[in-house]
Amino acid sequence: MTRSMDAQREVGIVVFPGSNCDQDTIKAVRELGATPRVLDYRLTELPPLDRLILPGGFSYGDYLRSGALAAAAPIMDAVDEAALLGMPVLGICNGFQILCERGLLPGALLPNPHGTFISQLETVRVTAVPSGFSGLAVGDHLALPIAHHEGSYRIAEGQLHALFEQGQVFLQYSDPDGAVHALTNPNGSVANIAGIASGSVVGLMPHPERAMAEYLGSADGRRFLQAWFGQKGSPGC
Amino acid sequence: MLTYKDVGLSEGEYQEIVRLLARTPNDLELGLFGALWSEHCSYKNSKPFLAWLPHEGPFVVQGPGGNAGVVRFNQDYDVAFKIESHNHPSYVEPLQGAATGVGGILRDIIAMGARPIAVADILKFGTNQRAHALRHGIVEGIGAYGNAIGIPTVTGSVGYSALYDANPLVNVLAVGLLPQSRHIGADGAKPGSVLLLMGQSTGRDGIHGASLLASQDFGTETESMRPTVQVGDPFMGKLLMEATLAIVTEGLADAVQDLGAAGLTSALAELAYASQVGVTLDVGAVPCRETGMSAYDIMLSETQERMLLSVPKSHLEAALRTIKTFDLSVAEIGRVMPGDFLRIYLDSNQVADVPTQVLVASCPRHVLPNKFTDRFTLPANSESAPIPLTIDQDLGFRVLRHPDCQDRSPIYSRYDSTIQVRTVWGPDHDSAILHLGEASEGLQIAVSAPSRWALIDSVAGGYAVVVDVLSRVASQGAVPLGLTDGINGGNPDKPEEYERVAGLVWGIAQAARDFGVPVTGGNVSLHNETESRAIWPTAALGVVARHPHPKAPVADRPDAKGLTIALVNPPGDPTLGGSVLAEELGRIGAYPRIAPDVTIKALNLMGTWARDPDAVGLLACRSIGVGGLFVALSRALMSRAPQYGADLRLSAEHAALDLFNETAGQFLVFLDPALKNSWVSRAQDGGVTVKILGETTDSPQIKIQAGRTVTFELHALWQAFREGGGSNHVG
Repeated sequence: MTRSMDAQREVGIVVFPGSNCDQDTIKAVRELGATPRVLDYRLTELPPLDRLILPGGFSYGDYLRSGALAAAAPIMDAVDEAALLGMPVLGICNGFQILCERGLLPGALLPNPHGTFISQLETVRVTAVPSGFSGLAVGDHLALPIAHHEGSYRIAEGQLHALFEQGQVFLQYSDPDGAVHALTNPNGSVANIAGIASGSVVGLMPHPERAMAEYLGSADGRRFLQAWFGQKGSPGC
Repeated sequence: MLTYKDVGLSEGEYQEIVRLLARTPNDLELGLFGALWSEHCSYKNSKPFLAWLPHEGPFVVQGPGGNAGVVRFNQDYDVAFKIESHNHPSYVEPLQGAATGVGGILRDIIAMGARPIAVADILKFGTNQRAHALRHGIVEGIGAYGNAIGIPTVTGSVGYSALYDANPLVNVLAVGLLPQSRHIGADGAKPGSVLLLMGQSTGRDGIHGASLLASQDFGTETESMRPTVQVGDPFMGKLLMEATLAIVTEGLADAVQDLGAAGLTSALAELAYASQVGVTLDVGAVPCRETGMSAYDIMLSETQERMLLSVPKSHLEAALRTIKTFDLSVAEIGRVMPGDFLRIYLDSNQVADVPTQVLVASCPRHVLPNKFTDRFTLPANSESAPIPLTIDQDLGFRVLRHPDCQDRSPIYSRYDSTIQVRTVWGPDHDSAILHLGEASEGLQIAVSAPSRWALIDSVAGGYAVVVDVLSRVASQGAVPLGLTDGINGGNPDKPEEYERVAGLVWGIAQAARDFGVPVTGGNVSLHNETESRAIWPTAALGVVARHPHPKAPVADRPDAKGLTIALVNPPGDPTLGGSVLAEELGRIGAYPRIAPDVTIKALNLMGTWARDPDAVGLLACRSIGVGGLFVALSRALMSRAPQYGADLRLSAEHAALDLFNETAGQFLVFLDPALKNSWVSRAQDGGVTVKILGETTDSPQIKIQAGRTVTFELHALWQAFREGGGSNHVG
């Protein structure tokens, strides 16, 4: 299906050994009319691209710490460089963990407090609109699935305030009506943080690529990805 | 020198080996026989009753015998699916035992060339403190493997009884999609091909897993069996999956066989036997993780994440190149030759030479006495189940709080159920529904294992579990393509246990024939006994079906007030035998023998209506199972913020029987009230009873008028469902 979006947009999707949401992400990107390009973790230079996604999964089997080994993979120098030049970079779940481990995003993702994996549909509230996004407003809420073992967001003492001040906290776990409080926190993240942005680099624990249609439980992931693509509104979706 | 006892064989079996070989086997050869003549690998006790199962059907591409059954889905795709058990290892080491259970069945699917798209788990736990800890470990293990390798766990079943305290059951169903152009199996190896062993290096883990751990009862020395359990590595499993599928897709192998129970021994023997070829193995070429491993260790190791490939010489270079891109270790370990032998060499010396025919297909089988099956004709004698004279709130809450009826979300929220983005209905429903992208038709997967039904009359229980899964399929208007069964029982050397398990399979076979759905494969796990206490005979049934409208399933909850609530195919003479309520009241009784004729009609009619629900005013539907109508109705209405309730009118003297009988093949339906009369008359024409029970309301409660009126607040039911609170049950 071709949408109104510029179909020429090339989106690099980095596949590490153990990535397992790469195919889902490729499908979602294609559904939105963009062109996915699979990037092997051994590359040291990126082909010409407009955007980059680090998909979810268990890169390197989560050995050492989630994302820690992938953060040192050969391709990551090139990812650094692209981010520095302002290319939009999106990390989903394990991709978010990798961006934090790499230092491209502040903070870290710790094991869930109960020590167990959590897989369920969550509502997240848009707390700030990262640069380059369109079609999302502060206060919007999105129903997106989470599926992770290490999603408890933490930040060094004294830095939380600055994250909010600078609009870097862009998604928070909320109740279905968008209210953020302790009871709506699935994984012990500080201040219910579900997503963080830093310039053109954004990361989130929920999986927008799995919420592409109402019959899957939610189409809000489609809306989120369209917003990331800078595509206003979502007619027909 | 080893003796036959050291490898788990009987004296008679040893003598048969000597007779067939016309010589005494050496230690290594004896080890090979110990593994392949074990119950786990040879099915020596279960083959006589497995022969009763029907395997033929219009959609069957591959029946039992391969790594998994295969059925035709549409013009482009087939579906490979099978249930496997990992009961014994999961008791000895719950996390790794369960994890490798998932890994093992996934490799079976992959070895058929199929890409796994879903997993379902069928679990039985005990009720003591230790069982609680086992449950935690087992659920963690299933999630750890499935989540990491990226296959969603989309549905499941869980049940509890003290009889599972020391014998938890872990049965896992895996389902894979197989492009029709890509068929491969273990049976295509051609002389001249090279045998490649790919994946994990072989270690000393799991030696004797099949012969000693899975094929004997547990006693006090179980602790010492821990080294017989394998360790899973889903990361390696993922690489192995991708590499195997890449090689199969590129057409580089002529046969594929995964390494599971009995490791290299079983893989080589099965591949050789299925392909009718001989194989040689240079045991020194097998990459080992530890130094000083003997040929015996290497042959019997059950190290996980290994795959055996038979590759024609012309493709060898390309295959090695593909494997290298996945950073997997691989070694050329042997050759395929014409003949019927498994020959093992160490440093150019032949250390074993056995005909595969003898190794794989000559184990003496259990012989059934004459007229053995006559005993299955009549229902078992038993005390009848109790019949409460009136209904009250207590009955409803006790059933809903029972662990078998409770919310499973504390388990399934630990499994990734949405990865691969096909899950339209996940584990919060009675069956899973997957869409398959472009195809208009989808896949429905249902599992069921109500072992209480088989406790007294295992024939009745076996029959009913098939009806139960097929009812879930009928409630969606889907077409069942095939069944897979996991049979779990006690020690087959005890005649009463053997008879119970055989009866279970007899029941399954009768139902599969009556309803015309073949069993394309499965698994048998016997010796589920600890210190002479056997589990309930337990059949885990799985079905795959073609769903006509996967993106718009028939709802399982009503979404309006004023809808007619009706029951399709209520039993004429209901009994609480085998029900949760009967157990709660302290006398379980025998589960009823289901009447085939009327039930076949009911399922056909329901299937027709659910195929085009709008045309007949079918607005929501649930099949009746464990917990009966009461649990089905509660689950259709309960939620965090319930909107709609129900007013039911039942006959005063039968109300408890109507609400809590668990006779499979009944359906709770919610209908457009304008069409309710046409339902009753059309059902009558089809020979099926439809009983109007009441209607939905906009008040969040279930009101039952049966002589007197009993009212259940939905929020209180929800709380009981979520939190349980039975006095002596695992919460």
